[in-house]
Amino acid sequence: MITLEHVYIEYTKTKIALRDINIHVDKGEFVFIVGPSGAGKSTFIKMLTHELVPYKGSVIVNGVEVNKLKKSKVPYYRRKLGIVFQDFRLLQEKTVFENIAFVLRVTGVRGKKEIREKVNRVLDLVNLRNKANAYPAQLSGGEQQRVAIARALVNRPTLLIADEPTGNLDPATSEEIMDLFNNINHMGTTIIMVTHNKDLVNAMHKRVVSIEDGHIVSDVKKGGYDLHA
Amino acid sequence: MTCMLNSFGYFLRETAHSLIHNKFMAIASVLTVTLSMFILGVFLAVVLNMNHMAGYLESQVEMSVYLKDGLTTEQVMGVGQRLKALPDLSDLSFTNKDQAMEEFRERLGDQAAILDAVNGNPLPSSYRLSFSRPDSLKEAAAQVSQYAEVESVQYGQDIIEQLYKVSQAIRVSGIILIVFLAGAELFIISNTIRLTVFARRREIQIMKYVGATNGFIRWPFLFEGMIIGLVGSGIASAVLWELYKVMLNEAAAAGLLFIPFIGIYPFMLHVTLLLLGAGILIGMLGSAISIRKYMKV
Repeated sequence: MITLEHVYIEYTKTKIALRDINIHVDKGEFVFIVGPSGAGKSTFIKMLTHELVPYKGSVIVNGVEVNKLKKSKVPYYRRKLGIVFQDFRLLQEKTVFENIAFVLRVTGVRGKKEIREKVNRVLDLVNLRNKANAYPAQLSGGEQQRVAIARALVNRPTLLIADEPTGNLDPATSEEIMDLFNNINHMGTTIIMVTHNKDLVNAMHKRVVSIEDGHIVSDVKKGGYDLHA
Repeated sequence: MTCMLNSFGYFLRETAHSLIHNKFMAIASVLTVTLSMFILGVFLAVVLNMNHMAGYLESQVEMSVYLKDGLTTEQVMGVGQRLKALPDLSDLSFTNKDQAMEEFRERLGDQAAILDAVNGNPLPSSYRLSFSRPDSLKEAAAQVSQYAEVESVQYGQDIIEQLYKVSQAIRVSGIILIVFLAGAELFIISNTIRLTVFARRREIQIMKYVGATNGFIRWPFLFEGMIIGLVGSGIASAVLWELYKVMLNEAAAAGLLFIPFIGIYPFMLHVTLLLLGAGILIGMLGSAISIRKYMKV
């Protein structure tokens, strides 16, 4: 699914963000990326989404050599990824339904019936069909994040990337969201999740990759947050 | 391209939505574009008319070849034969010394008595030539002035050169003004679009993340700029057309029709098309500048 070999990313000529990253993630895995602030976790994710391109090494996702991707091919590559952010990034002036349909429209889906079916499918998945006509401001944080997850899933990605998805949520809601990710993972979607949330990582017993100061310091199969320390 | 055709309706809806949403800004930029396009159009019309007049006067100019005194009839005829062979000659006439004197007398009118004080006839005989091409006239003038029998050659070079100098000055200042105005329009349109883009930066960001192509994201904004440019230059062209019509009518009423203005049609159509084209292009360019920054995700 994902293979990184000797990947180096620099912010500036003197400041290296990631150095010599080697990792392999199989299809269907659930991987936590943990580590202190500024360690390079977000950079790691931006590399997968082709926002940052390594100056050395190779990044292969879904069989695509991301570091050599042509600019014009980047949009088509991104359609196979689902991305979820800490701040949800929903469009406030669009309803829940429209926020999700928007993704389909901007990637060229035109049929009204097709759009309705696809949006309803993911709304059922996150259990928000009854809020389809609500605006984001009318929803709780947890519900907004579920909409964002539904939006990330609507193009049926094989890889779901989440950057601190519970960072803005209270513990109980965070657990709900984690359960949702777990369900999605059980349906076969590979998940890469950056998080600070110790308790959640410890409770999930998934693979944990720790990044510190730009390189991987530990990679444990059924790990916890502090195992490497 | 197929993406573009499939999504055309979507683009138009987005563009219309955005223009309505920012209607005051859109109207302000349309009016500014109208104003600068109008000034641009006025200059264009003036410069083109000046060129037209200069060309017209040039084609009207005759050349006078003054012969030396004391030539034999054969020599005079010989010069005539050689002049006849000049390229692009359209008219050739001969005026002998007596005819020249007669004409001069007529021109002096009441004061013709002065000539009685003159001994003999100091006026030369001359050939008068017209050419179908102004350039040929200049070449012929240079050539003929070398003939041994020819005293001097004269044509309205001074007037033409003056006219050309004036039209050149207008043309240069016109070009400077046009560049300046186009730059200003570019700035105004790109600023308007920048506001739209800024208001929708989150949307653009999400579009980038979910895999919308750059073209798809860009087109609604490009359309918006193009429409502002098109409407602005359209209004300017319509006003200019109407004004040119009024000016021609006024000139006719004032008896100024001897001034060779360019006829309204198809001249104004060409000016209009030029302004519309420039408006669309500038609008598109202005938008392209504004969205560039937001496309890098």
